[in-house]
Amino acid sequence: MAERQFFKATDPQEACDLLAQYGGKARLLAGGTDLMVAVNQRQLSPEVLVYLGDSGLNYINSESDNLVIGAATPFTDIMGSNLVREEAPLLAEVISHIASPAIRNVGTIGGNLANGSPAADSATALLALGASLKLVSKAGDRVVAVEEFFTGPGETTLEPTELIQEVIIPKKAGEAKWAYRKLGKRKAQTLSIVSVAICCPLDGGQCQGTRIALGAVAPTPILASEASALLEGKILSEGLIDESAKAAADASNPIDDVRGSAWYRRRAIEALVRQLLAQISA
Amino acid sequence: MTMKVVGQRVKRYDGMAHVTGETRFVDDVIVPGTLTIKAFRSPVAKGNIKDLDTSAAEAMPGVAGVITAEDVPCNAYGLVPDQPVLVEKAVRYKGEPIAAVAAVDEDTAVEAINKIKLDIEEEKPVFDPLEAMKPDAPKVRPEGNVFMFGERPFRQIILGDVEEGFKKADIIVENEYLHPSLEHAQLEPQASLAVPDAGGKLTIYTVSQALYFHLGQLLGILQMEPDKVQCKQWAPRTGSSWRHNAGFSDINYVGGTVGGGFGAKNDIHADHVTALLALKTGQPCKWRWTREEDLLYSTFRGAWRMTIKDGITKDGRIVARQIKSIRDAGAYSTLNFYVVDKHSFLAAGPYFIENVYVQGYCVYTNKPPASSMRGFGITPATFATEVQIDKIATQLGMDPWEIRFVNAFRKGEHTATRRVVNSVALVEVMQKLAEKAGVDLPDKLMTMTSTERG
Amino acid sequence: MYSLEFTVNGQLCQVAVDLKTTLLEVLRDKLFITSPKVGCNTGDCGTCSVLMNGKLVRSCITNALSAQGKEVTTIEGLAEAGELHPLQEAFHDNYGAQCGFCTPGMILASKALLDENPKPTREEAKEALSGNLCRCTGYGKIIDSVMAAAEQMAQAKS
Ligand SMILES: Cc1cc2nc3c(=O)[nH]c(=O)nc-3n(C[C@@H](O)[C@@H](O)[C@H](O)COP(=O)(O)OP(=O)(O)OC[C@H]3O[C@@H](n4cnc5c(N)ncnc54)[C@H](O)[C@@H]3O)c2cc1C
Ligand code: FES
Ligand code: FES
Repeated sequence: MAERQFFKATDPQEACDLLAQYGGKARLLAGGTDLMVAVNQRQLSPEVLVYLGDSGLNYINSESDNLVIGAATPFTDIMGSNLVREEAPLLAEVISHIASPAIRNVGTIGGNLANGSPAADSATALLALGASLKLVSKAGDRVVAVEEFFTGPGETTLEPTELIQEVIIPKKAGEAKWAYRKLGKRKAQTLSIVSVAICCPLDGGQCQGTRIALGAVAPTPILASEASALLEGKILSEGLIDESAKAAADASNPIDDVRGSAWYRRRAIEALVRQLLAQISA
Repeated sequence: MTMKVVGQRVKRYDGMAHVTGETRFVDDVIVPGTLTIKAFRSPVAKGNIKDLDTSAAEAMPGVAGVITAEDVPCNAYGLVPDQPVLVEKAVRYKGEPIAAVAAVDEDTAVEAINKIKLDIEEEKPVFDPLEAMKPDAPKVRPEGNVFMFGERPFRQIILGDVEEGFKKADIIVENEYLHPSLEHAQLEPQASLAVPDAGGKLTIYTVSQALYFHLGQLLGILQMEPDKVQCKQWAPRTGSSWRHNAGFSDINYVGGTVGGGFGAKNDIHADHVTALLALKTGQPCKWRWTREEDLLYSTFRGAWRMTIKDGITKDGRIVARQIKSIRDAGAYSTLNFYVVDKHSFLAAGPYFIENVYVQGYCVYTNKPPASSMRGFGITPATFATEVQIDKIATQLGMDPWEIRFVNAFRKGEHTATRRVVNSVALVEVMQKLAEKAGVDLPDKLMTMTSTERG
Repeated sequence: MYSLEFTVNGQLCQVAVDLKTTLLEVLRDKLFITSPKVGCNTGDCGTCSVLMNGKLVRSCITNALSAQGKEVTTIEGLAEAGELHPLQEAFHDNYGAQCGFCTPGMILASKALLDENPKPTREEAKEALSGNLCRCTGYGKIIDSVMAAAEQMAQAKS
């Protein structure tokens, strides 16, 4: 068996170099809350590990119109950041429902996204917030919108030699209202059966560029574009909310699994969207 | 006289060790040179083993021993010894252990397991107890899918005459209740450590909740006390180096520290295999089940289907109660029939009912064996009978509290099995409960007592 | 094989580990510190909880090499100069431990909370322990124990 190798990257460039050098054999290790579960369950036996914990990717910055979060920033830091609470309160709220303190202490936002789970909760928030990701490799970097990042269950547009450097979130514009709800099997430490995050900038009471994001009800986290478009330029009313909720349910493509049935998920989406839009309009 | 303990708050005798982390659970006992055990489990729910080839596993460096049914001196255990330690021919549930490996570490043990070759003829399984009860159902067990309580295919409890009782009733309420299966999920998974010594004696560190019961069974499996143990269904194999004519003193069974059991550790899950491998290899062997194995294959509370038919008079008295309960036992008897016994004895609830008829069925299906869990079958019965009382209340237009008060046991009355109840306080407990819950009950109920039937 | 150097309960340790080795395996199998238990090995139950640089982590899904140079505390490291930590006293006094299997993890999760928030509300205590399962389900008494310890520590300070 080939010698297994462990590297501690001191900056993202070094990590990129190692990824380039070892190709598909190398795996990035951040908090390990997905990766080590797979290792323990013998689904994964990495030959080369590149540790990101000390790679300088743990930061939260304000840059003109954007909030920028380093990919290896643990959830606890994001949740506790005043900057995030100011500029993207939806993200702080969503993250507070992820797992439990011990997992949030080490689990990172980059790992959550890279893992590509349809139930990745941070993705729902980022979709609603219209965030994008900066991906880097030895060859250069590119920025992709979060809605273009996910390609299937456990699949993303990331190349094997690429890593997520940072998450770019447009700052809250004016009177942006938001709402979030996650349904799990229990209150804490539970994966989403369904989750809905809504970001609804209001202009004189009218919805302007509403984004309704759905988690765990399709092969990837998705935006319910139709449901959002229905609201454009309108004032939320009971009838409109109802229509939008139905459109959101239609946008979903859920499966039956151990956490819930497709039947339940479709209905839950409709109910949650209705509830959250009502909350926003109140 | 002041008492030292009675009436005082006493700290747990083991509490200090718990809070300092000194409590030593089975997996915390570390013996140098201990081998790691992994099981080879059936990939199908029902089948007939044509061929089992463990040679590649045995030949692997780092593998100290492999055992199959051939290595088990008496391959049948349980209160009714019908469960094999390792399957010889007939697989009855998915995940049933067929072979086990002891190796220097977990990776080697897993690799060895993956090298075991199984040729199995898959058969049609039956999972639903109602299906299993049909005459043409696939046979889970050769003797039939319904456990025989003596001559009868059910445990029968008769008190009075329910048909007569129903005639006296003003209304009849009949409902069916389903209780799903339930896993204990005790925090400490099944685990066992067996350490052999030069004289052929064994020290077994066990998670058992039933030490002496399991010790007796282990001696039977290992054929360490042949006169006392009858091996009913499988002929004992005694070809190897097993010691015979040995007794209790040959196993030092160390237990009592249990990281949660709730009934999950009333059946042997690991000690038999660990003991066999320790004897075969001459080395200490440890088997700790993964959480996944524990959730999928350890015993659990079996599912129930309960039909209750009650006859009630206008004043809320239940005058006749007829119950038919079907327990999904999984593939082996384990403690299932005892669970059905207790269920049947007590299913009528804490109420004095003069006419009771209970039929408790215990039905085999191709699922992992169910067994005991907190309350041995009484908890599901309580769920059903209490929901039934609420339904009776709705139908009668009466307060459900009142129905419970009116029917609750009074001192000197008796259960469906004619056991006289002397120490009863249900009425007083309900009064206290109502008080605590802020429920205002009418004087008529608050002045009742358990000593008199008003 | 890599050499992992880190501090456990104030003691510098060096052990050989593999890429796949978890911190829990290092503690239990190499250092024979058995208070962190194997309950699930998938991060779900919390019985393997330890503190790493003061933060609560799941040792079963912590890659051992990510502990390089760090300071790990298990329940064995809580008592100071032979004196139990107030949390240990409080769990014993308030029946916060039943079978004891979840207890080391519970106490460490509680310590992480009190280190950051010495006067938590009951709700905050529940949230802090939300990832630690107790199947003996003594949650009420566990929260009582945490609140009692917080109270006791506040008194000792004043
Ligand atoms: C008990 C438990 C409960 C959980 N509950 C939730 C929940 O409620 N909601 C939820 O959304 N998630 C939940 N999770 C999963 C969540 O913890 C992970 O998705 C976490 O965010 C992954 O981050 P990490 O730093 O631990 O990643 P790792 O496990 O270190 O890595 C995960 C994957 O991402 C890759 N990777 C890591 N960083 C990068 C990067 N910067 N660029 C490219 N690739 C990278 C790794 O190579 C690996 O393939 C739970 C996990 C556990 C164990
Ligand atoms: S053993 Fe680590 S969380 Fe369960
Ligand atoms: S005390 Fe037993 S699991 Fe908590």
